[in-house]
Amino acid sequence: MSTIAELMTHDHRACDHDFARAETLAAENDWQGASEALEAFAHGLNAHFDAEEQQLFPAFEAATGMTQGPTQVMRGEHVDMRAALERLRAALQARDADDFAGEAETLLIMMQQHNMKEENILYPMCDARLAHAQDELCSHLSQMLAVEHAS
Amino acid sequence: MSSANPGLAYEDTPPLSAPLRFFLTAPLFGICAGLVLLFGDGVLDSRWTPGALAAVHLLAAGFMLQVMIGALQQILPVVAGVRVPAVLGVAGSSHALLTFGATGLAGGLAFGLPDAIIGGAMLLLGGIGIFLIAALAGLIRSPSVKIASHAPRDLRLALIGLAVTAVLGLALAFAIGRGASLPIPLAQAVDLHAAWGWLGWGGILLAATSWVVVPMFQITPSYPARFTRWWAPVVLAGLVSWSLARSTAADGAGIVLGTALMLAFGAFTILTLRLQSRTRRSTPDAPFHAFRAAMLAMLAGIAALGANLVDDGGQWSVLAGVLILHGGFAGAISAMLYKIVPFLAWLNLTQAGIRAPNMKKLLPDIPVKQQLKLHLAVLAALVLGVFVAAAARIAGLLMLIEFGWLLLNMLRVVRNWQRARET
Repeated sequence: MSTIAELMTHDHRACDHDFARAETLAAENDWQGASEALEAFAHGLNAHFDAEEQQLFPAFEAATGMTQGPTQVMRGEHVDMRAALERLRAALQARDADDFAGEAETLLIMMQQHNMKEENILYPMCDARLAHAQDELCSHLSQMLAVEHAS
Repeated sequence: MSSANPGLAYEDTPPLSAPLRFFLTAPLFGICAGLVLLFGDGVLDSRWTPGALAAVHLLAAGFMLQVMIGALQQILPVVAGVRVPAVLGVAGSSHALLTFGATGLAGGLAFGLPDAIIGGAMLLLGGIGIFLIAALAGLIRSPSVKIASHAPRDLRLALIGLAVTAVLGLALAFAIGRGASLPIPLAQAVDLHAAWGWLGWGGILLAATSWVVVPMFQITPSYPARFTRWWAPVVLAGLVSWSLARSTAADGAGIVLGTALMLAFGAFTILTLRLQSRTRRSTPDAPFHAFRAAMLAMLAGIAALGANLVDDGGQWSVLAGVLILHGGFAGAISAMLYKIVPFLAWLNLTQAGIRAPNMKKLLPDIPVKQQLKLHLAVLAALVLGVFVAAAARIAGLLMLIEFGWLLLNMLRVVRNWQRARET
């Protein structure tokens, strides 16, 4: 069984690959393909956010008593990224390649600085504080993450 | 901030003005370096001319140091969970000291003013010292967690490199300005200072940043874990051993260790280029290409250092300096600035609840691409200038435009940020 950090970091990378595929197809003006790839990315991203918000963060908050700490910041950034995803969808629907590229660049940087915080700080803290329930939690999280991201 | 978790840093992003002041001041030093090359006589004739010493310090202790300290305020909380305490006070005081320090030091070196050299070096050490103490205070309070990435550890190692470089620099300033005696010959002490600045500070910082930035932002495979585990500690240990060998006149060991250090840095650049060639992003932009060009310039710089080992001609060390400082570090830093500054402006607007224009609206691609192309033209002119004196003046003129343009592009972001706030 992997650690929480390994499981969730792996899912970040899988989301990145979906993102890159959508970006590539949009750059080639393959709007149909880009739309499908973007929806795959959106599905993976939302599944990841849901797994965190419904499973991981409540477990961390219960174990540490910190409800206004890092998990609150992460939830706020999820809201920002969901909004950025909507703008990306709008650019795709308008078939505006420049706008899509700009929104994609913005979302990527937002997403990666968010991932850095989680991978370098929050997930290791989760592994440390939730060690007693790690196997069970990983199992629940795996069930919620996008199936196609499992390797 | 929760008292139960005193070190967790990312609950509040540093105010935009904390890093921005460094990013907007930095290009001014590049402009001054261009002026030195434009108006100085025979600046690139050797590494010891007053103009060359001034230009090197304008780039290294001016441009590079400003951006690196500014960026670390943003990176330390995100990557290492380190919150720099009293961030605005630290930013304000260290920025003022670094700015006056680099100006004094470079001016002193250019015009042969011992007091300015010593005063500038002391101000620089003060600015670096304030930042390092604040970072240390943050480090002590940061959460101690076991993580797979070696970036946080290597950022700490780079700070050691910075401290050693700064102390060696101050000792040199007293040796040059006051005739203070050093335990080793002056030329060797200069080599130690340069090597610690290049590898111990700049090289390890670049690598630690790359462990994170290249795979995540350029969507490439990760650096091999075995490589990132050992690279920075080995380089630091190698630098210590090489410094001891150089200080004790153990020439054979010094050459072997020096070569090993060059190969280690070469391995980092080659690995980075290989990973970047496997990016999943199909539309690499100008900063991506500029980062790769910077890695190639670093490799060429290492080759020039290698040539310097077998041929004592003075031009090799100047060529290496040009390739590593301007082509390598200034290129990679410009590329990173073009990502960092628009994102910080976007983040500031978003956090203020303002609908932020996307990154490419805050800073369009075309002026970035043109400025980065000019950077390569300046590098070519500088390389030519090492062998043909007249070309150095042209390189100076072009460098002046290069850094002026970089500043204008940064100001373009600030203007768009202000417009978004007003609407």
